[in-house]
Amino acid sequence: MACETIVEDGIDILVVGAGLGGSGAAWEARFWGQNKKIVIAEKANIDRSGAVAQGLYAINCYMGTRWGENKPEDHVRYARIDLMGLVREDLLFDMARHVDSTVHQFEEWGLPIMKDPKTGRYLREGRWQIMIHGESYKPIVAEAAKKSADKVFNRVCVTHLLMDDSRENRVAGAVGFNVRTGNYHVFKSRTVICGAGGASNIFKPRSVGEGSGRTWYAPWSSASAYGLMIDAGAKMTQMENRIVLARFKDGYGPVGAYFLHLKTYTQNCLGEEYESKWFPALQQMVGKEYLDPEVSHLTHRPIPTCLRNHCIISEVNAGRGPIHMVTMRAFQDPHLEEVGWENFLGMTVGQAVLWAATDVDPKNENPELTTSEPYVMGSHATCSGAWCSGPEDVSPPEYFWGYNRMTTIDGLFGAGDAVGGTPHAFSSGSFTEGRLAAKAACKYIDDGKAEGIGVSEEQIERRKQQIYKPLEHYRVYRNAIVAGDVNPHYINPKQGLDRLQKLMDEYCGGVTVSYMTNEKLLNIGLKKLKIMEEDLESLAAKDIHELLRAWELKHRHRAAECVTQHTLFRKETRWPGYYYRGDAMKVDDANWHVLTVSRRNPKTGEYTMEKAPCYHLV
Amino acid sequence: MFATNPFAALSASIAPDAIRFYVVLMVVLVVAGTLFDILHKGSARYFFANWRKSKGSAEVDLIPIAIQTVAVDVLASGEFCNPKRRVAHLLTMYGFIFYVVSTVVLVFNYPAAAQASFWPQLWWLGGAMVLVGGYWFWFFIRVDVAAEGNSPFRVVHADLFILSLLASVTLGLLWAWLGGVVLFASYSLATTVLFGGVPWSKLAHMFFKPAAAFEKRVAEANGTHQNLPTLTRDDPRQRERHSMELLKDAPMDMGLGIKREPPRHY
Amino acid sequence: MPTFVYMTRCDGCGHCVDICPSDIMHIDPTYRRAYNIEPSMCWECYSCVKACPQNAIDMRGYADFAPLGHSVRVQRDEKKGTIAWKIKFRNGTEKNFLSPITTKPWGQAIPKLAEVPGPSSEMRDSQLLYNEPKWIRMDDGGLHTLEAAGLKLKKGVQY
Repeated sequence: MACETIVEDGIDILVVGAGLGGSGAAWEARFWGQNKKIVIAEKANIDRSGAVAQGLYAINCYMGTRWGENKPEDHVRYARIDLMGLVREDLLFDMARHVDSTVHQFEEWGLPIMKDPKTGRYLREGRWQIMIHGESYKPIVAEAAKKSADKVFNRVCVTHLLMDDSRENRVAGAVGFNVRTGNYHVFKSRTVICGAGGASNIFKPRSVGEGSGRTWYAPWSSASAYGLMIDAGAKMTQMENRIVLARFKDGYGPVGAYFLHLKTYTQNCLGEEYESKWFPALQQMVGKEYLDPEVSHLTHRPIPTCLRNHCIISEVNAGRGPIHMVTMRAFQDPHLEEVGWENFLGMTVGQAVLWAATDVDPKNENPELTTSEPYVMGSHATCSGAWCSGPEDVSPPEYFWGYNRMTTIDGLFGAGDAVGGTPHAFSSGSFTEGRLAAKAACKYIDDGKAEGIGVSEEQIERRKQQIYKPLEHYRVYRNAIVAGDVNPHYINPKQGLDRLQKLMDEYCGGVTVSYMTNEKLLNIGLKKLKIMEEDLESLAAKDIHELLRAWELKHRHRAAECVTQHTLFRKETRWPGYYYRGDAMKVDDANWHVLTVSRRNPKTGEYTMEKAPCYHLV
Repeated sequence: MFATNPFAALSASIAPDAIRFYVVLMVVLVVAGTLFDILHKGSARYFFANWRKSKGSAEVDLIPIAIQTVAVDVLASGEFCNPKRRVAHLLTMYGFIFYVVSTVVLVFNYPAAAQASFWPQLWWLGGAMVLVGGYWFWFFIRVDVAAEGNSPFRVVHADLFILSLLASVTLGLLWAWLGGVVLFASYSLATTVLFGGVPWSKLAHMFFKPAAAFEKRVAEANGTHQNLPTLTRDDPRQRERHSMELLKDAPMDMGLGIKREPPRHY
Repeated sequence: MPTFVYMTRCDGCGHCVDICPSDIMHIDPTYRRAYNIEPSMCWECYSCVKACPQNAIDMRGYADFAPLGHSVRVQRDEKKGTIAWKIKFRNGTEKNFLSPITTKPWGQAIPKLAEVPGPSSEMRDSQLLYNEPKWIRMDDGGLHTLEAAGLKLKKGVQY
């Protein structure tokens, strides 16, 4: 395929990935840099890209400070407990104090937010959550980003960050290819805000045919945020903190509105309450500080998500599954019934399709729940991502190096799932992180930190060869066989993905092993990942679409390797219900009440692991 | 040139009856090809099975629907949502009709006459319309080029119809202008491929599309709407729905969002 | 539940190709109409279904676990600002829904930040974002800080 090289130069702020995080960055950047050049590079179409493509029915991070409903520090304490103590409380506090202005702006722009008829305020689903009719959430937010940006490059898959050739450890832009025309795109920029996706599909899913598309987190979240940043040598944190979700079986439809608004609850197959049975043993494992059922009625000390998962997993393994959600009573109320269905239609239509296909009417039967395969991302009840600097007025010295949300690479910022340590951000928090990163990026430029960046022609040419290699490899080695996909000289992206998913599932704690792993298994996993990395040099793509899948696989592989390294490093079971270390089946606050931080050396591929102190608000 | 019957000079080297036979043969090929296609693929069985399944609750009078289908969907190419595509299709469709009808009339009624009333002009006009609509479609409107980003010079199976149509008309007009055996032979070959290729090309859409448009209108009339939702904000009862509370004071025309722009964002 | 395209309805306009977040709606080289090239990467997000002006795209539940005979169809009307759903169960039960998708005309309530008054240097040096603190609280308080809340960050094990 003959491809042109298209260079976009003189960019001040390059937003890579325009989901909620990236859109927030592009939007806000225009205010702090009214004369700056802002460019967006998005691998799909910004109007429906990212995890919010089909919409949302709730905004799960809203304080309500204007009505005195909550304080930011309460949210910090809530997220801290849910994540078993290990979060970046400076980043969390910063996000919580700003997120309200984001939500109010959304309402101004036309996002339908439900109102409480009695008080006139936003209708609360729970203490932190409000309910919205958010089918067009992404198109509305995308419009704001488009109004601020100078140029939006849709269908451009960014594969690598460009690094400054004149100075170590400074970003210089990014490169990628156009998924429609096949052209090579080079973006030379003073700063990069990475708003790309977290990792879905790196573990074997429960449904393996067509159903492997019904992931909880979007299938196009190809770990590109992690792949891009790890490859560039940025430090990552908490990558072992993968999330497992208890959701409706197969469809993975959301349960938040059901539990909070419809007030449903769960039972085992005998119709019994089962969680309290497992609490005594669990308390032995994690300690009373993290699991105190008597105190749990105070909503800022919830029972952590992972521990609730643990109860489901244990109960099912003990032979008393499936776990059901008791909906029959709540659904008798026609208004709640409408909410229950619209909850899916506005957020996970696939669940409504499944119930229509299986004749499940929650009025007449209690639907099944299951625990999903693991995902690695950073804005839900989990906080994997890049190790970033915090805000100057809040962060302690170990957490601050000049600019808010900047990674350990100068000029490289993160937003949303890309940033580690900020769980419970969800859509509004991710957009807010984008805004914070944008302001900081403008300051970075205004402080003169982006002077003198140089990118060699050699780097640009080298990346071009790398990007198109799978196409070339296919073209040449396809000649070895008659037909079909089996060829001793290459693997295609689907074959590679199957292999990665099986590897991670069996060695790094996936569903078929009930989320269990240990040191020996993790080391075998790392060895296999290394061999797979060699085979990824023989990845073959027959067309541009497959080339997209090829690079998504490479990013997924890089993230998976980092996840395995982190899981090996943390010698404890901090989040039972997300995963277990069979050789260290307890929470070990004495040694491991720390954040794990890693860095992969871009030249040698070696990982350096370190412990970073964990700070708490008191 | 435009007033002269292009087939008149041909009758000197080829018998008029042979030309008429060829024209009839092309018609037969289209009919036979379409029937073969339908039988071989079973598409008629599918169509009628679908028709039976979608019988709705309301009784429908099919005649007015048929008339509407012909008037709007067939004659005015009404199914197109994009105005550019609609205009290009109208040009190509009517151009083709003028071109074919005038060819038949010239070959059957004026085999050797150089003067043939207005039919030669209609032949040229029809041909020109096909070329304008057809090349416009080929280079700019074709979805695999416009929305998918493929090169306009990439040729795939689906291009059999449009390419053979463009080839036939281009070569035909060129031959009528410049004459010569080579052009005539190429013109004949392209025309044979155009009409003979019916089982493998999209030419038969001229039969299938009206049937589909008719079926769609019937489904709307009989209340099934193909399972599409029918609730709208126009209904005052729906405006009172609890879920519609937030739109109580909003304008009825919110403008366009994503649909504002054509589907070409790369 | 991946998408499929009705042969008789698709006219090859390209809206679905343009919008699909997964890059899986493409044009078939034989029919020049759209189809789903990779159902295992289909999230059933319905972006293409909503975008199709001919209602030519529909959904069939994932074959892994969804029996046949159901229908979940949608009409997204930008002009009216609404989205309508019709769910038909395999056993024939039908449910209908209608809800808003925007409360304001599209794009009109979003300012162009290039044209608003820019930030003062005081605002630049502060921790405030655009339009703050106005949009966070209705009283005279400023942005929340650790000092204002009487908190500090302490290293080590705390609960």
